[in-house]
Amino acid sequence: MTKRYQSSDQVVALDCVNLNISRGERVALMGPSGSGKSTLLNLISGLDEPTSGSIYFEDRALDTMTDNELTLLRRKKIGLIFQTFNLLPTLSAIENVSLPLRLDGKRRRNADKRSTELLERVGLRERLTHRPDELSGGERQRIAIARALVFEPVVLLADEPTGNLDSQTGAEIIALLDNLHDEFGTTIVLVTHNDAAAEHCERKISMRDGRIVSGNGSLTQ
Amino acid sequence: MTNGLGLVTIRQWQQHKLRLALTIVGVALGVAVFFAVRSTTRTLVDSLNSTIEKLAGKATLQVAAGDAGFPSEYLKVVRETPGVALAEPVTETLAETISPAGEKLLILGLDTGSRLELYSDMFDEGELVVSNPLAFSSRSDSIAVTRKFADRLGIKDGDKLTLQTQSGRKDLIVRGFFKSEGGGEVYDGNVAVMDIFAARETFGKGNRIDRIDVKNTPYVEVDKLAEDLRDQLPAGVRVERPSLRGQALENTVSSMHFGLTIMSFLALTICVFLIFNSFSISLNQRWKEIGILRAIGVQRRGVRMMFLGESALLGLIGSIIGIFGGFFLAMAAIRVVTRVSTTMYGVVTTPQGLAFDTQFAIEAFAVGMIVSLIAAWLPARAAARLRPVLALTNVETRQSEQGINKARIVAGVALVILGLLLIRFTRVQVGMNIQLFYSVLMQIGMIMLLPMFIRLGGRLIRPVLGRLFGVEGVIAVESMAASPRRTVATVGALMIGLSFVIAHAAFIQSQKAALDRSLDKTLSSDLLVSSSEQLLGRTYHFSEETANKIAAMPETAIAAPMRVTSVSVGGEEVSLSAHDMDKYFASSPNLLDFGDPALARAATARGEGALISTNFSLRTGLGLGDRIQIESPNGTFELPIVGMLDYFRSEKGTIFIDRELYKKYWNDSDVDYVFIDAKPGVDIAAFKQKLQQLLTGEHAFIYTHEEFKGWVTRLIDQFFTLTYLQMVIAVFVAAIGLVNTMVISVSERRREIGIFRAVGGLRRQVAEMVMLEAVAIGLIGLFTGAIMGLFGAYFLVQTAAKVVAGFTVELVFPWWIVLISIPFVLAVAAISAFVPAFNASRIHVAEAIGYE
Repeated sequence: MTKRYQSSDQVVALDCVNLNISRGERVALMGPSGSGKSTLLNLISGLDEPTSGSIYFEDRALDTMTDNELTLLRRKKIGLIFQTFNLLPTLSAIENVSLPLRLDGKRRRNADKRSTELLERVGLRERLTHRPDELSGGERQRIAIARALVFEPVVLLADEPTGNLDSQTGAEIIALLDNLHDEFGTTIVLVTHNDAAAEHCERKISMRDGRIVSGNGSLTQ
Repeated sequence: MTNGLGLVTIRQWQQHKLRLALTIVGVALGVAVFFAVRSTTRTLVDSLNSTIEKLAGKATLQVAAGDAGFPSEYLKVVRETPGVALAEPVTETLAETISPAGEKLLILGLDTGSRLELYSDMFDEGELVVSNPLAFSSRSDSIAVTRKFADRLGIKDGDKLTLQTQSGRKDLIVRGFFKSEGGGEVYDGNVAVMDIFAARETFGKGNRIDRIDVKNTPYVEVDKLAEDLRDQLPAGVRVERPSLRGQALENTVSSMHFGLTIMSFLALTICVFLIFNSFSISLNQRWKEIGILRAIGVQRRGVRMMFLGESALLGLIGSIIGIFGGFFLAMAAIRVVTRVSTTMYGVVTTPQGLAFDTQFAIEAFAVGMIVSLIAAWLPARAAARLRPVLALTNVETRQSEQGINKARIVAGVALVILGLLLIRFTRVQVGMNIQLFYSVLMQIGMIMLLPMFIRLGGRLIRPVLGRLFGVEGVIAVESMAASPRRTVATVGALMIGLSFVIAHAAFIQSQKAALDRSLDKTLSSDLLVSSSEQLLGRTYHFSEETANKIAAMPETAIAAPMRVTSVSVGGEEVSLSAHDMDKYFASSPNLLDFGDPALARAATARGEGALISTNFSLRTGLGLGDRIQIESPNGTFELPIVGMLDYFRSEKGTIFIDRELYKKYWNDSDVDYVFIDAKPGVDIAAFKQKLQQLLTGEHAFIYTHEEFKGWVTRLIDQFFTLTYLQMVIAVFVAAIGLVNTMVISVSERRREIGIFRAVGGLRRQVAEMVMLEAVAIGLIGLFTGAIMGLFGAYFLVQTAAKVVAGFTVELVFPWWIVLISIPFVLAVAAISAFVPAFNASRIHVAEAIGYE
């Protein structure tokens, strides 16, 4: 697939990328800034559309899905983790985590129960009612991870999850992702600059100028 | 650096065109209303003055004594006063034509035998153009009309003109024409001239004339001559320059001016909120940008100037648009104002083209600029004080706003309580306008309390919307409560707009209730016959004979005649009600609020006492037992005050005296109303029908007690037309504020909405969230508006009504209007948020998440 951005000069963010990720895999996407890692993640999650080519999720092309179908896919089957956490500042930790469940019409009591379990799992039992601005960067990222896992998604897409954290907290977050992978068997696509974080993945893919330059293994062209 | 900052601002404008447009609309609206009010008021005043001056012709002084007129013998006194070069007697009657139908004609009775030098503007070479001068002056059915009137209705020399007079229909013959200039210009040319003798006969004025137009000799100063004339004439006959008479009319319509002025300040207040809102939002949108500018070396002063410069430029554009918009608004408003002046105050005006007044334009421009700068001052200061480190941090941190400031709450509560205490415990003085600032104290206090109301309101609404709409409702309320900077201005604009509506609705209802009570007490007769459909109509009066005919009907138990005119007390035109007091008390035994009814009845019936309205008492400080001096055309007389009652006919007050006393001092036996009590067992409907037959040909309007109350209510509604207009403007401007906030809320929360969508929020759910936030803002606006409305209503009845008119009114709070407002406000909120909600649901998620 290819992704171009319309501007005075057409910027090619992804240039003829072909990639296949299997269920349960842990894949690290690496490369310098502007190499197309985040764009690729946005396309996989259905947040953006490729200019040409198709993305298949469980054998269904994303471009055949309606906006509602894509949204529900993100809600239930894809967990997103961002470098800047992207929590809703007005909601408490538990409310942020239970947001996808509440959006899905789950009862508040059930949603809160599930969210509490996950927050306990990420070590934030004592921070349930705190708002994001009352928490440290590491704690915010843990909330974001708990939120991403609330539906036990098939895929977890993490865009530089340790980018805004100090090295020790970053290591804790990666360890947490490892544990979750072992526990739930979730497919993880990890965009990172951090070699140490990438070491935790079975497959490392390097990108440059919108192309995959190495690590695509037998599953790519 | 300034150029660089200017460029940054222009880029912001390009990105936020809607915010820009709404800010300009805010300024333009405030300036437009201000300019329109000033222009309308000036046009009306010019029109009143011009009418007086045109009718006065070349007269330098006018001798007058209210609408009852004065004996024509005074003409001789005036003419014989040294220094008088010319003195012309005049009668003025506003009559309705029967054929051609439905025209209102101001008929001047002049001494057509004279040269009419004073009115040479109106007449060619000082004369009427008449085919047969002899016939014109010798026959009492002669009338001359303006060429404009004649041309419009195709009237030719010798045509018949049928008029309604107090003694029935009267056929007149058009035997002359005159120019539609000078006096012929007033009332849009609907002016006619009759010989004064014929006019007096036709309109039953007896020996009375309405005024004498005087021109001084060149060797005598006008003021000196006026003094000499005053010495010669009784105190009840006033000698004034024509321009001063205009001023007296201006006083008559002063409460309308007051209403208009309130309206312009209201518009400006809401305008301040809109601009403040817009700049607060701009500050939030540009948080990071300001951080970057500060980080690269822009000083605090530079940031402040960037904001103030932007507001000055927007103020400039908005003011220019507002001035032109205001001109068109004034063109529409002048029609309403002129109609109200004529209907309510019986004032005849001359159509006055609305002239573009440069001075007003400059004032309005200055007001627009000042208001823009004041409104932008706080956001500009906040922007300048921003710490660059905080400004550059990410979204979660920067959205956290300061909590509720306790000192502000204490100050807010203190101001509200202070305002209420002042209203409750200080003695109100009529005309002491400083007391109107009690309301400003409460408003400032309430505005200071708004963040608290928003937080508390949010806590109350959150579970309700959460239960009803799920997490979308929760986020909507949280988003509102977490950003008081964004929300306060909108809730404030809604609060001011709705409180205005609620307080004025309460005031109107209280006024109506007070009037209802007053009418029940002062008018408990079965039927009422009125000579006019207007409250202060001076067109027709019944003759005493008509009243006697009614009294002689077999069904009549009591027929109490009443004459209403005005009398000057302390330079103010006070209403004078002349009743057959014995019959009046017999018909309305519960008339008095203060005083012994039996003693008052006996004293007034003997002509040895007067009643006064409570507002007159408040205005003058006179009370029971005090003596009041009344100036009449036949001299000044003094009466003790033997009773007081709440009475609302005149905002300047009312004096009640016995009819015989009035006839003696005014030489006027006319009747304006007859209060009729039917004998027991008489069918009122049948009696009314019989009365109608009796009064066929008379200009008479017959009402039952309830019909009369309905008629008065309609008049009140007419009087409050402007208030209703203000209410519409207030709600409209508040709605603009809400649209502004929602547009900005969406723009500000772009990233948040992106996150919401990224974790699985459907477009529908995003739209719902935005709409619910508007609803939450609307509900808190309504809640605070209702509280402020209650305080405002208390202020209006307790202070404003007394300061402006001395009226004592009990508060009737219209809870129904608060209830009705709930769905209305919710609908306005939903409509205001519709487009922003739609746009929010369509944002590009990936871009929004990357958005800073």
